[in-house]
Amino acid sequence: MSVTNQSLPRFAVLQLSGCAGCEVSLLNANEWVEKYQLVYMPLVVSTHTVPEDTEILLVSGGVRNDEDVYNLRRAVKIVDRVIAVGTCAISGGVANLGDRDEVREMFMSQANRHHLPHLLPKSRPIDAFVDVDLYLPGCPPTPELFMGALTGPENFQASSIVCQECGRKKLKDMRPKHLLGFQQGEVLPDICLINQGYLCVGSSTRGGCRAICTRPGHPCVGCRGPSDAYIEKESSVWFDRVQQVFERLTDIPPQEIYDALHSPQLSLFLFQFTDYMGNGGPTRPKEKVL
Amino acid sequence: MTTLRFPLSRIEGHARVEMEVEDGKVVSAQFQAIEMRGFRYFMQGTPAEQMPVIVPRICGVCSTAHHVASVKALEDIFEVEPPELAKEIRELLLLGQLIQNQATSLFIFTMPDRVGASSIFHMDESEADPEQQLSLAQRALKVRQIGTKLITLAGGQFIHPIKAIIGGITSGIKKEDAEKMLSEVREMLPIACTLFDEYWEMSLAMRERIGTWGDDQPAFYIASTGRTRPQLNSDTIRVLGPDGAERASFPPHLIREYLDYQETEYSYSGQSSYQGQVLRANSLARMNLALSMGTPCADDYLDRLTSTFGKPAHPILLFDLCRGIEMVYAFERAIEILSKDLDYEDTDVPYTPKDGEGYGLVEAPRGPLVHHYTVKDGLIEDAEFIIPTVHNMLAIERALMVAGDRYVSPSGINLELEKAVGRVVRAFDPCIACATQ
Repeated sequence: MSVTNQSLPRFAVLQLSGCAGCEVSLLNANEWVEKYQLVYMPLVVSTHTVPEDTEILLVSGGVRNDEDVYNLRRAVKIVDRVIAVGTCAISGGVANLGDRDEVREMFMSQANRHHLPHLLPKSRPIDAFVDVDLYLPGCPPTPELFMGALTGPENFQASSIVCQECGRKKLKDMRPKHLLGFQQGEVLPDICLINQGYLCVGSSTRGGCRAICTRPGHPCVGCRGPSDAYIEKESSVWFDRVQQVFERLTDIPPQEIYDALHSPQLSLFLFQFTDYMGNGGPTRPKEKVL
Repeated sequence: MTTLRFPLSRIEGHARVEMEVEDGKVVSAQFQAIEMRGFRYFMQGTPAEQMPVIVPRICGVCSTAHHVASVKALEDIFEVEPPELAKEIRELLLLGQLIQNQATSLFIFTMPDRVGASSIFHMDESEADPEQQLSLAQRALKVRQIGTKLITLAGGQFIHPIKAIIGGITSGIKKEDAEKMLSEVREMLPIACTLFDEYWEMSLAMRERIGTWGDDQPAFYIASTGRTRPQLNSDTIRVLGPDGAERASFPPHLIREYLDYQETEYSYSGQSSYQGQVLRANSLARMNLALSMGTPCADDYLDRLTSTFGKPAHPILLFDLCRGIEMVYAFERAIEILSKDLDYEDTDVPYTPKDGEGYGLVEAPRGPLVHHYTVKDGLIEDAEFIIPTVHNMLAIERALMVAGDRYVSPSGINLELEKAVGRVVRAFDPCIACATQ
């Protein structure tokens, strides 16, 4: 069977300002090659606009400049279904770390080029501009998650949180008194990273990634964003929950946990809470999140 | 004066080419990077130890190189030397990246140019046998996936890896996992070679059709690999003259002294040069530098290249062939490393965070990548990312002028120009997300 078979569903990938990691991940999901027809994706196809009669549009990257806004608005008009892919499209992503006054000022004064697409003051999620039918969080989403998004959420089974997919055992009698220096020290196999003093937020991060970070020994940084239990709530509820987990499993002083949870490396993904940016964006209902 | 604007695809990121034509002659060619996120600005104030997890997000194609360069920059500041096991696993990570990248550039970005297709997934548009074409796309993706699997094995995460840490690596590789990977790499090596042979044949056919290998003037070259065989994790950057003689060799902290850097109004990327001369990085630079690849199949291909084109070689479409040689090398070198014991205790050494200034160098697929951090009170005061694509900017523009001269004349503009622009840019495999961050 040929990949350009006309009867196959047609999908396009609109790349806004991002790192192309989502596209690379999609390329790792070779299964779609036989089931879908890729009609537009600048990284791999030399077509310069989203063709008419495209059914599904995946959007990756955040809205960082005026050309992103134009391309996004134009593309969604053509398609039946819009899927926001990855942290940047859902929340503006890593570029949001610059959403501080002093950084924004320096950035806008030094960075802009007059004859090129003009930079917006901040990186915005795509749902600040257009309606989204499905959110696919992850930095990037795994190939398996991409297939789930393409074929429909009803075909994708996952645990609600990363912890359930991790398989490391939580122990009652192994209680660290302080967080370990970042990533420092020997990681014991099979034992919960929290018991070992690592700042792991897998206990309330959305499952579906199959715990690919925590299983080899790296704490979950929360790239899939909040689980269904928290996604429609304020980020403070999520913070409180992670704090409770640490207080139950460790003897680490609460202030130490609080400070660590507000670090840039984690807040990069916390932006997936709509309230985190303080702009009252639309709530992402859990039914719309894979 | 007429301005021709060419949108670009099958490259990493957002860029376009603008050519100005006057009286049937191309008078300027600009390669414009049109996106920017601003990592240099927003990294300021970040706790230094979090950098290795954040900076891979500069680029999903080059994330492994950023991950390792970041760790090395912090090790430079904290004055720690990782143990041997960590170095081997980091090399494996960089090899995985090399396979993934070179296979992507060869098969997904540039192979369609050789047969006039819009993508590898649409190659049956121009070739007769759809059955065969599909298997080509699938074989290409499988070869590429070996790179992804190596990154996953050695780096934990398959795109933004996590396993390299300051002072070492989070864990070794279990014997059974290494053996499983080893057999997959061995099984795919001949398939990779066959695909590369087909690619070489297609390139020869294209050369016949267009009448050039992309002849351009000789250039200076920059790479950080070893003189005698490739080394992705070295501490020395070298510059070769157009005659192939080594003109400079220096540690990463002197890179700004050896290279000139300038910004332009027409691009979000800067440009660098060596003593005012056009510089080239990426596969051809490494091939012109290396005496041998040190592995049997890759050396056969290198001999074939050298006997045909000499050394140093300058035609730009040879960048593409050199990527194939490196892909084969990375397969063979991965086999060597995976055959060793990679599962023992000595994964990392302890360190004490401190303030200071440091540099981390790796040879990324696109050339030498340097991360330069200044840390104060444990926070990043300044982060400078010296990106290999930036070293190629002037070379890309010069090669575009050559293509322009070839296809623009007082009697008109040959429609082949648009394709030539694509071929020229893709030969350098620029990464715009990195170049602009």
